Amino acid sequence: MQALTVILYLLLAIGLAPLLSGVIARLKNNLRLRAGQSILQPYRNLRKLLGKEEIVPENSSWLFRAAPAIVFAASLTLFLLLRTNSLLSVIFVLALGRFFLALAALDAGSAFGGIGSSREMFLASFVEPAACLVILVLYLAPGPAWSVAHILAGLALLIVVLAETARQPVDNQETHLELTMVHEAMLLDHSGPALALLLLAAQIKQLFWLVLLVSLFVPLTALLPLGAGLLAAALVIALIEVGIAKYRLFKVPDLLVFGSILALLAVAGALLGV
Amino acid sequence: MSIREELKKTIAPLAVNDRYPAESYLTVKPADFIPACLALHQLCASPVMMMFAEDKRATRSCFRLNTAFYSAAERHWYYACLDLPAGAESFPSLAKEIYSATLFEREIREMFGIELVGSPDHRRLRLHDEVWPAGAFPLRKDFVPLERLEPPTGQYEFIKGEGEGLFELPVGPVHAGIIGPGHFHFSVAGEPIINLEIRLGFTHRGIEKLMEGKTLAAGLELSERVAGDTSFAHGLAFCLAAEKIAGLTPPPRAVLLRAVYLELERMYNHINDIGGIALDVGFSFASAFASVLKERLLRLNEQLSGNRYLRGINVIGGVAQDLAGPVTLNPLLSDLNELEKILFNSASFIDRIDSTGILRQKTAEDLGVLGLAGRASGLARDLRTDLEPYSSAGFRPIVCTSGDCLARLNIRLQEFRQSSELIGRFIRQLQPGELTVNAPAPVAGYSLGAIEGWRGPVLYWLKLNEQGTIERCKIVDPSFHNWEALAYAAQGEIIPDFPLCNKSFDLSYSGNDL
Repeated sequence: MQALTVILYLLLAIGLAPLLSGVIARLKNNLRLRAGQSILQPYRNLRKLLGKEEIVPENSSWLFRAAPAIVFAASLTLFLLLRTNSLLSVIFVLALGRFFLALAALDAGSAFGGIGSSREMFLASFVEPAACLVILVLYLAPGPAWSVAHILAGLALLIVVLAETARQPVDNQETHLELTMVHEAMLLDHSGPALALLLLAAQIKQLFWLVLLVSLFVPLTALLPLGAGLLAAALVIALIEVGIAKYRLFKVPDLLVFGSILALLAVAGALLGV
Repeated sequence: MSIREELKKTIAPLAVNDRYPAESYLTVKPADFIPACLALHQLCASPVMMMFAEDKRATRSCFRLNTAFYSAAERHWYYACLDLPAGAESFPSLAKEIYSATLFEREIREMFGIELVGSPDHRRLRLHDEVWPAGAFPLRKDFVPLERLEPPTGQYEFIKGEGEGLFELPVGPVHAGIIGPGHFHFSVAGEPIINLEIRLGFTHRGIEKLMEGKTLAAGLELSERVAGDTSFAHGLAFCLAAEKIAGLTPPPRAVLLRAVYLELERMYNHINDIGGIALDVGFSFASAFASVLKERLLRLNEQLSGNRYLRGINVIGGVAQDLAGPVTLNPLLSDLNELEKILFNSASFIDRIDSTGILRQKTAEDLGVLGLAGRASGLARDLRTDLEPYSSAGFRPIVCTSGDCLARLNIRLQEFRQSSELIGRFIRQLQPGELTVNAPAPVAGYSLGAIEGWRGPVLYWLKLNEQGTIERCKIVDPSFHNWEALAYAAQGEIIPDFPLCNKSFDLSYSGNDL
């Protein structure tokens, strides 16, 4: 019985993750006074990719082929961790996915994969401390609550989300400029079903982070407030993405360190009980 | 003292041709060629504006080499011309003395098979070694089109950076987006760019060869398709050259209408680039706003002329049709003010473009950078200053000195306003009258048509034979002068800032590749 619930739970995550991406993309376009695509577009993209041939770079090894499955599994594991008490494992699971994605990008042997991996690792070293501290807050002061600690943790988590989901001002999912890419540069050599798997993994990771963010303030068991919370978070992200330019790469750590400091204050708040 | 008299002191030309207004062709002895070019370079305070060869083996059994300099002070074009007897096709390289001759010399070498003695750079520009066989020189008159391209004959050699932690990053010519094909070869140390070499020529269509033998009408049609975003300026430069040869003076109304269209072309391109700069740093709201403005300008073009990109308006001797409606630019201007506010109130946007991609004035001068990119680096050159109807309207070029992406953005914003003012002024000056003068019988001759397009000077050197068909047409789009400036502006920047630098120049691939 329990196994069935877990499977249903994971299927729900897989099923809903693209929708969240679609909603954010639609909101962004509407904010720019454009009609925008259907919120179902991410599903169509995935279906299209699943029907395509997969092309593997000539000199790549088993790593390149295995990575999409590992990254996808890591993303799903994040969701399982939401239901347990071992949230700190999130950091390790994230790092696992990131590690294999970067390795596969290097394995392909193209210039952009190398650039993407190097930037991703550079930024990750600033994201992980903030993420660790936010999770510490969740241990010290389990939510949901509207306390100072939770609000600070929420702000810190928002910055982490922007970096982890390849959003502006850290990364830009919409750009075609290969030289500016971070996350997408690592995906450039993947194609077909493997690319679909990687995109879905990124969408699931995005859903995980936003659920975690909302869970600071809203109980996860209440479906309607959870949905409203996710929609609000999507709107905030869309507003940020449309309203500001991407930061110069070497300025991004400033933002991420700011996130860590907010998280540190949140820890202090949690310890003091405010 | 005039440049001519000054020049006489040191160089005695073999022949002088002053037949056309504002142009002097000075044929010199081989030994005098370099000194004459150097003297003109200094006296005119001009880079090599054009340098091109003609195949005159059929009539004079020689190749003729023309090197053009422009004196803004005298509003006059000077050419140093050199005849190279057939069979011994070589000339001493000018590039060693004047850097801005380098690309022209490489072009002459690959197109005519004329050797450069002592040239620092022999590499091909457009006929890539990987596909084009040796010994086939397309601009020679006896060139026979190749049945098919032969297997690779050579390999292009990039300048390689060497050192610890330095690696090569090849980008393009196939890019992730739908943009022109250019190969950018970076030498990088981590993110910072140590060196950038740009290899172009992937859209080479052989325009100059296609021009040969065409009638003027067909040539004009082709010229409007050399660079799609500069259709009007290219067509106009072609017409100006043809009109000068025929001795035609377009009626005043046509001159004003041409200026109106030229400024409309400038406006839609400038707003396109303002949006493009915003888009390339991910400021998508401003870019969406700018794209709306651009679309409104394109629709205005269509209303006025029937063509969004202003094609088919120019004819030899005037314009084909009158304005088909009123030109209302005021709503656009207030929206531009709004856009400027959005851009300059965004700290994240200004942070990206301020002091990014600096092109120093000295570098710009040495490279022979022209037009908008030059004006952003303090070079106050604009051909419109010297041309009607601009000169009588008291036209002054807009100049910035900082040479960064912000300067190039500012020039565009200010020129957009200036253009709309000019359009208003020209429309008020319009008097009822003819739109064209009738073309007389074909006249043989050669002359230059020059106009300041939105990127910079567009130059057409045209030579017609007795039947009135095109014997030789040399085209120079400002992009040809300016691409290398991008490589210098990018030096020391980090890789993710390169697309922004690139967009701030927004040079043409097709205009460069011909």
